[in-house]
Amino acid sequence: MSIQVYLVRRLFLIIPILIGLSLITFTISRIVPGDPVGLAAGPQATPEIRERLAAELGMDKSLPEQYINYMAGLLRGDFGESLYTRRQVADDLRTFIPATLELTLAAIIFASAIGIPMGIISALYQNKLPDHSARILSLFFVSFPAFWLAMIFQTQFGVNWDLAPVSGRFPRLDIPPNQITGLLTVDSLLALDFASFGRALEHLWLPALVLSFGALASITRITRASMLEALNNDSVKTERAIGIPWRVIVLKYVLRNAFIATLTIISLEFGWLMAGAVLVESIFDWPGLGLYLVESSLRLDFQPIMGITMMYGIIFSLVNILTDVAYGIIDPRIRYG
Amino acid sequence: MADFITDDKPVSIDDGRSHRWENLRRGVYRFRSNTMSMLGLSILVFIFAVAILAPYIAPYPKDATTGVNPVARFTEPGAEHPFGTDRIGRDIFSRVLIGTGLALKVGTTIIVLATSIGVTIGAVAAYFGGWVDELLMRFTDIFLTVPGLVLAIAVTAALGRGIDNAMIGIALVWWPGFARLTRSQVISIKEEPYVEAIRGLGAGNLRILFRHILPNAISPIIVKMTTDFGFAVLTAAALGFIGVGAQPPTPEWGAMINEGRDYFPDEWWIATFPGLAIWLMVFSWNLLGDGLRDVLDPRSRR
Repeated sequence: MSIQVYLVRRLFLIIPILIGLSLITFTISRIVPGDPVGLAAGPQATPEIRERLAAELGMDKSLPEQYINYMAGLLRGDFGESLYTRRQVADDLRTFIPATLELTLAAIIFASAIGIPMGIISALYQNKLPDHSARILSLFFVSFPAFWLAMIFQTQFGVNWDLAPVSGRFPRLDIPPNQITGLLTVDSLLALDFASFGRALEHLWLPALVLSFGALASITRITRASMLEALNNDSVKTERAIGIPWRVIVLKYVLRNAFIATLTIISLEFGWLMAGAVLVESIFDWPGLGLYLVESSLRLDFQPIMGITMMYGIIFSLVNILTDVAYGIIDPRIRYG
Repeated sequence: MADFITDDKPVSIDDGRSHRWENLRRGVYRFRSNTMSMLGLSILVFIFAVAILAPYIAPYPKDATTGVNPVARFTEPGAEHPFGTDRIGRDIFSRVLIGTGLALKVGTTIIVLATSIGVTIGAVAAYFGGWVDELLMRFTDIFLTVPGLVLAIAVTAALGRGIDNAMIGIALVWWPGFARLTRSQVISIKEEPYVEAIRGLGAGNLRILFRHILPNAISPIIVKMTTDFGFAVLTAAALGFIGVGAQPPTPEWGAMINEGRDYFPDEWWIATFPGLAIWLMVFSWNLLGDGLRDVLDPRSRR
């Protein structure tokens, strides 16, 4: 099966999952709160206001009818309207998604840059001091509450040492680079605007570093385990017998074999970090999906909550597909099927 | 424990019970020679002791609930208040101590609920296979498409803020991991000859599944329960921190950090000590889980 056919098939398989997810979010927003209209209208609302609001929201219809209307909207890319800000949820999502993606990607890069070498060194020095230290260190860091660490780092690096701005993605008064991908670091590079790149990076590194700690332990552990497996493979014995230098064996053969398992965990961690980003974003005022989710949840603003949850589901599914495609590129034995 | 050795049925089929006992003894030995897991266990024993004794040893037990002492507000850590006091003069030390029991209760509730749902769904799916498997696993997949914390925030917000709803919300998003794990375990065990033999003796499906297959699948589940315990506490604290979980004046660590956030870093102690408490709790469960993984699931670590 060619990669294109495979991709299309996988994309189609997302549809039933998203329908299932929409059923769950719909249940959360319409059935769980006893009185969604009352929530939306507020405690002081008169019966007339409530009736008008119910009609406006389509909540005077039966639940199946409401669900069909919601799904019809989704197909048109209409996620409804926030009851609090009166903005279109779809517009808000478009604004906030790149911020979360940028933060999560940067955190994954940090976590891999620290975790993969730690895992490799652990495996090469199995059960020796570097191995034990790496294990304790990663458990040590993963146990910190991200929101608490974020607060401390923000004060220490941002306020006391003045090494990073304390909030946001970009200086409020500066003009951000033209939006191409929405990732400020990438966009500024594409525009060859290095001053903006510097400012974006200045804002990005600290929250990304804090976020990366959450993924460190498992990336280290899986890299270590898969390295050990690859090192114990018979092919390594053959290669040594032939007389290939150890360094070449490790760098050329073992790492490649070990990387497949690591790739799986990195893509799984991507989801975890997107969740962790909810907390980091709310500390650093990072204008992403997570901050949007927290604000909407505290206001019980259900249209955005549903939209955000769906969006996380879509992003996560796409990441999984990309991972599977990446397997095939790294490991030519894998056939798409 | 006694359940392992005194068999109530005189059937001499080797479903691994005697081996299990032997393995357990070896495991205990390996566990005890592992410094890190013993450290984790010791910290946990200390944490449980603190949780039990907190109402008696906390200097200002009232401060965990209704206590107010405006005269002593924002006192720095010192002899009178080891962890200082907050904006209405409550003793942080007492609140952290009494919060320990709450954290343990929260972790236990979430893990027990999530394990019960997850193990049941995973085991049934694997054992019966076919469309039952397909249906249950597609249902599980839906929950796995959204990061747990995100769905937990949404569910808890909808149910209404508070620590009880937070526990329910978190458990409802936590079970799919257990379902997946249990399913993979049961699938590999159900084809073993001893299962066939027990079936031949006329045992019913449920009896085979819950009494003969699951006990052999339990090791990785226990490992996961242990490491997940810390993270469940952490997630509940996160919900408390962003404001949908425990509400003031509950002495929940996450909510306490939220209360101290506005006074950080000038009155740093309000948010710092509950954070360290969460860290110690999560760290010790992680150490324990890491050690248990070595003992119960040796393949994962050589």
